[in-house]
Amino acid sequence: MLELTDVHTYYGNIHALKGISLKVDDGEIVTLIGSNGAGKTTTLRTIQGLLRPRSGSIKLDDLELHKLPSHQVAAKGIAQSPEGRMIFPRMSVLENLEMGAYARTDKDGIQQDLERVFGLFPRLKERIKQKGGTLSGGEQQMLAMGRALMARPRILLLDEPSMGLSPILVDLIFDTIVAINKEGTTILLVEQNALMALSIAHRGYVIQTGEIILTDNAAKLQENEMVQKSYLGVE
Amino acid sequence: MNKHIKTSISIALAAGFVAFLFGGWAIVVAGGIAGLGLGYYLFGQSKAQKWQDSIKEALLPTLITAVILLALSIFQNYYVAAAIGKKPIPFNTMLQANATGIGGLIFFSFALTLMHILPLRWQRIAQIVLLTFVVISFPFIDKFTGLRWTAQVIFALIFTILALGLNIVVGFAGLLDLGYAAFFAIGAYTTGILSSPQHGIFLNFWLVIWIAAGVAGIFGLILGAPTLPLRGDYLAIVTLGFGEIVPVLFKNLIKVTIQEPFTCWILPLFRIQTSCITFMQDVDLTAGEKGISPIGRPILPIIGEFQSNNPIPWYFLIIAIILLSVFLIQRLRDSRMGRAWMAIREDELAASQMGIDPVRTKLLAFAMGATFSGFAGAFYGAYVRGIFPSVFDFSVSIIVLCMVILGGLGNINGVIVGGMVIMSADRLFLPALKDFLAGLLKATILPALSSNPTLRAAVEQNANPILYRFLLFGLTLVIMMAVRPEGLIPSAQRKAELRSDEEIAADQAAAEAQA
Repeated sequence: MLELTDVHTYYGNIHALKGISLKVDDGEIVTLIGSNGAGKTTTLRTIQGLLRPRSGSIKLDDLELHKLPSHQVAAKGIAQSPEGRMIFPRMSVLENLEMGAYARTDKDGIQQDLERVFGLFPRLKERIKQKGGTLSGGEQQMLAMGRALMARPRILLLDEPSMGLSPILVDLIFDTIVAINKEGTTILLVEQNALMALSIAHRGYVIQTGEIILTDNAAKLQENEMVQKSYLGVE
Repeated sequence: MNKHIKTSISIALAAGFVAFLFGGWAIVVAGGIAGLGLGYYLFGQSKAQKWQDSIKEALLPTLITAVILLALSIFQNYYVAAAIGKKPIPFNTMLQANATGIGGLIFFSFALTLMHILPLRWQRIAQIVLLTFVVISFPFIDKFTGLRWTAQVIFALIFTILALGLNIVVGFAGLLDLGYAAFFAIGAYTTGILSSPQHGIFLNFWLVIWIAAGVAGIFGLILGAPTLPLRGDYLAIVTLGFGEIVPVLFKNLIKVTIQEPFTCWILPLFRIQTSCITFMQDVDLTAGEKGISPIGRPILPIIGEFQSNNPIPWYFLIIAIILLSVFLIQRLRDSRMGRAWMAIREDELAASQMGIDPVRTKLLAFAMGATFSGFAGAFYGAYVRGIFPSVFDFSVSIIVLCMVILGGLGNINGVIVGGMVIMSADRLFLPALKDFLAGLLKATILPALSSNPTLRAAVEQNANPILYRFLLFGLTLVIMMAVRPEGLIPSAQRKAELRSDEEIAADQAAAEAQA
């Protein structure tokens, strides 16, 4: 469904992505793992249209995403729960979720999805009138994911959903990711927490200094010696 | 209770200050406004369920305010007026003025407090009725008492429209615009050019005001298009530049020639002899420093042409424009576009990920803001009857920005209050304070200085608060930012924010108690 072919992205003169190629098929959870500064977030930002690749192509089916500005990419069915969450701090939880559905006009569908998000994250329903900026870190993560879901995306991009959360919350978030996927949303998950990510994903890519160095199905990656040493902390 | 007393004393002192400065009939207006302020405060604080409780709640604060105000008014008339060389008004008039003023104070204070016991829907209706009554009666009270404030209040209302428009740009969309006066100027000059002897075009005011708004809006788009991809500080600097350019441009549009570039410039470059096609030859568009005057005025059946010596029709016209503006701006704020503005203000990057086009959204905020300043410009031109480039300088942009910040960024009611407060300070209080100080000095220090004429002249000239108006504005802003950064009337959003913080704190305390 989503396919990146030989994508090169630069920050000024810094060559951040050196020819990334990856593919996400319908209904999958695909994870992109790697250490700090490997280019994980850069990859997502490039897909989202916030950064423009200097060469290579990004296609959603036959549509060339890399030629579109980011608000149009969003309208084509790509939603992101960004790194650092980027929720609207002075809007209420409900207003944040409604912003997620900004590009949509089907009122009934929006209402349904609102119920769905509250089903996934009952905590958000309890805090419905509270301002986004006053939520705890875990609640903000839920809100960012819920807001992305409100767009009813074809592909959900998740950037480090486990960052800064307690182990219990991380479990909850990952269970929810699986649940969202079972309901039919395709997911591209970027994670530093490789163990957790590989345990729920179907396939995985390992990124290092802007290049994909390894790809396989998730179970095999967990077995891979290099992955175990570098990312799973197994001696 | 303690808080009530503090508030009533500060309201009384503020109103007393007005009565003190102006003396005489000013107490009628001061009393009325003090009553509205106090009533509004008590209404917000009220816990009453029955009317007896409301009366009890309002009784003491109203009494305190009334006594202080009355005392200051009487003190003014019999001691201060004499000290600054004014004649005190006769006892009978004094009695009437004070009775009306204090009566108004008591009436409004009780009426507003009592509204709290009404059902919610009726509260709103009652408030609107009361406000309508105040707004409609003001110019007639003003005329009856001979205060002659209406003409100045109209200026305040013109600037209030500007503040409402700027609030869209700065308050809703979060774009700092330091050159807003440029759009005001464009609106005014459009009016001037289209209804004055300058070019012999005399379009009807009712048509011109829409054209002026449209032209200002289009210039909002033209300015916005290249600059809005810029962020924060850069946008502020560019708008600052635009604000400087526009008045200079109007000053210099006195010999406009429009030629067809191909025949006039390009062909001669290749040494091809042609006759240059000229569309306009040396047209004096804006009359430069002399300004455009006189400008056509609105005409209505029955009333006829609006006149300078009768401010009442002007007053109601500007009130109508304000009502229209507030209605439109409220609709804009609650629309899809309004939500997009808010999202852009909060986090532009996140907003673009929601599918909001940041450039288009910001451009529309700019154009909408500019449109309302076009209304203000058209009215200004017709009301003053003449426009000059020097009127639209940088200080106008800054004063309007002050109004928006003082009243409360993003809050429509707050911006109206901010506009009224700053402009009445500028147009009414500073001149009154000047007279007051001059009178006081003449009665006290100046005679003692007669031996030193240089010093005497220096003191006389410098004791003029109008000279320090920008210092005073600046000081007000600094104090406001330090004491009450959310503005006089904070937006509901901020209030809710504070409340939910308290709720979190309460929740946490409860959770800890259980554990």
